[in-house]
This record gives sequence, structure tokens and C-alpha cells, in this order.
Amino acid sequence: MKISTKGRYGLVALVDMAIYGERDYINLKSISERQGISDKYLEQLFIPLKRTGLIESLRGAQGGYRLSRDADKITVKDVLNSLEGSLALIDCIVETKEERCEQFDCCVPRILWQKIMEEMNAITDSISLADIAKLFKESQKGSKEVIS
Amino acid sequence: MKVSTKGRYGLRSMIDLAINSTEGHVALLYIAERQNVSVNYLEQVFSALRKAGLVKSVKGAQGGYTLGDSPSRITIGRILRALEGSLSLVEGSDSKTETDNSLQDCIKINVWDKMTESLNQIVDSITLEDLVNEYKKMNGTAD
Repeated sequence: MKISTKGRYGLVALVDMAIYGERDYINLKSISERQGISDKYLEQLFIPLKRTGLIESLRGAQGGYRLSRDADKITVKDVLNSLEGSLALIDCIVETKEERCEQFDCCVPRILWQKIMEEMNAITDSISLADIAKLFKESQKGSKEVIS
Repeated sequence: MKVSTKGRYGLRSMIDLAINSTEGHVALLYIAERQNVSVNYLEQVFSALRKAGLVKSVKGAQGGYTLGDSPSRITIGRILRALEGSLSLVEGSDSKTETDNSLQDCIKINVWDKMTESLNQIVDSITLEDLVNEYKKMNGTAD
């Protein structure tokens, strides 16, 4: 019952892009260095993120990756749905009618799993990349003041 | 992000047991038949439930299992923790931060820990009794 490494690192990479790239293309190596995630792994994460339209890429010397829309328009839910699929703890609640088990309609645990998924969707949809970027910048400001 | 097979069958078995043990102990065989799962597998599940005090067993001809506590005091959280371990959505959520990367820490505190907290709140607010009542409603056997 865990968020995968893919989901965790994917979110880190996208918030990094929101902080350091804003809407400019940034190179994958710089994200890799700042966040300590290998560039090979980031490349793998960027395939689904690109396919689901959260990021876009540009080839060439000035190229790299950038968010495909403003950071306040991309939520944690968008990122997790792209990398993890749905936030359901059990598959049947997101399956089509034909795929469901025959006990679906009278299954009590289903009510619980559905309630949890709705709550997870609501929380993750209420936090945008811009929100996290802001919290991060504030926390950095705080720690620098302490040092100086 | 999925609940394990053990967690799924454990929860179903606990609901089954709550409904069927009102008049004495229930043999695993019957639960296994109703839930369409092997007795061997259920034995593993029940061993974990027994360790957590959620079920009690009696040996012998009339033996079997009953709930270890009243259904209104058994939260879904207790059942899932007995079967899944701690209900945190990322590794190391129980301890202090495991990385020295401040962005990852920031995300842990503001996203993963919040999700984990909410998950725990939901499962701790629902009891086995609540689910048994739902079952009775769905199956038209409400009092």
C-alpha cells in the first residue's frame, strides 16, 4: 500500500521544473544533479509524463523539458494519475462494468475502498506544483535566515 | 498503490465472521467456502488476526473462530494494520526524514504525510459494526 518510486520521484522532478525552470526549457541533467535522481531514470519517468501532456520537450542546444502549462494548473493528482494510474487501493472500483466481479453491487468493502479513493483524489487535486514550489521557497528562506 | 490480497481477504473474512459468529464459533472451512478462498490461505490470514487480538480461536469439534472484541470496537484501521503493517503511503513515513534533500522532505511533509494521515483517519473512523450494518442494508436483512 505504497506510492511507487516512480510517483515519488516524478513529483520531485516536476516541482523542480516549476521552481528552477518556470516555463523555460531546462535540461534533464540539471534536474538530475539537483535532486540526486539518475538522468536515465528521469528519462523513463518523462515518457508517461510527456504522453499525458504534463511536460513537453524541445531538441537541440537550447532544448530540454518544460511544464506544458502553468505550475498552478498541474496538481499532484495529475502527476500521480500519469505515473501510478488511479489512486484506487483496489482495481474493481475503477474497472468498467464488464470487468467487475459479480459481487460488485453487494460488496461491502468496496464502499470503504471507494471512500478512501475519493478522499485521496480530493487531497491530491487540492495541491498544485505551484503550491509545493511556494512552500519549498518559503522553507529555504527560513533556513537561510537562520544560517546568516 | 494497492491493498494486498491478505488485506482484502482479511477484511472480508472479518465481516463474514462478525455476521456469522453471533451464535458461536465458526470453522475456517465455512468462511473459506463463502469467500471463495482456500483454507490454507485463510489460516495465514487468521494467524495474523489472532496475534493482533482481533479474533479468538477454540480447538475441538465445536471449535473455530470468534471476534476478539466487539464489532463496534474493531476499527478497519486495526484490521488493516494487522495485515498490512503500518498504513503509510511512502517508506519511512513513521521515522524522521530519511533523505538530506530538502525538496523531497518538503514534498514528504506537505503531500505524502498528509495523504497518509487522511488514510489513517478514514480507516480509524469506520468500525466493523459499520460495515456489518452496510452489509445488512445491501442484502435486505436489516432489522
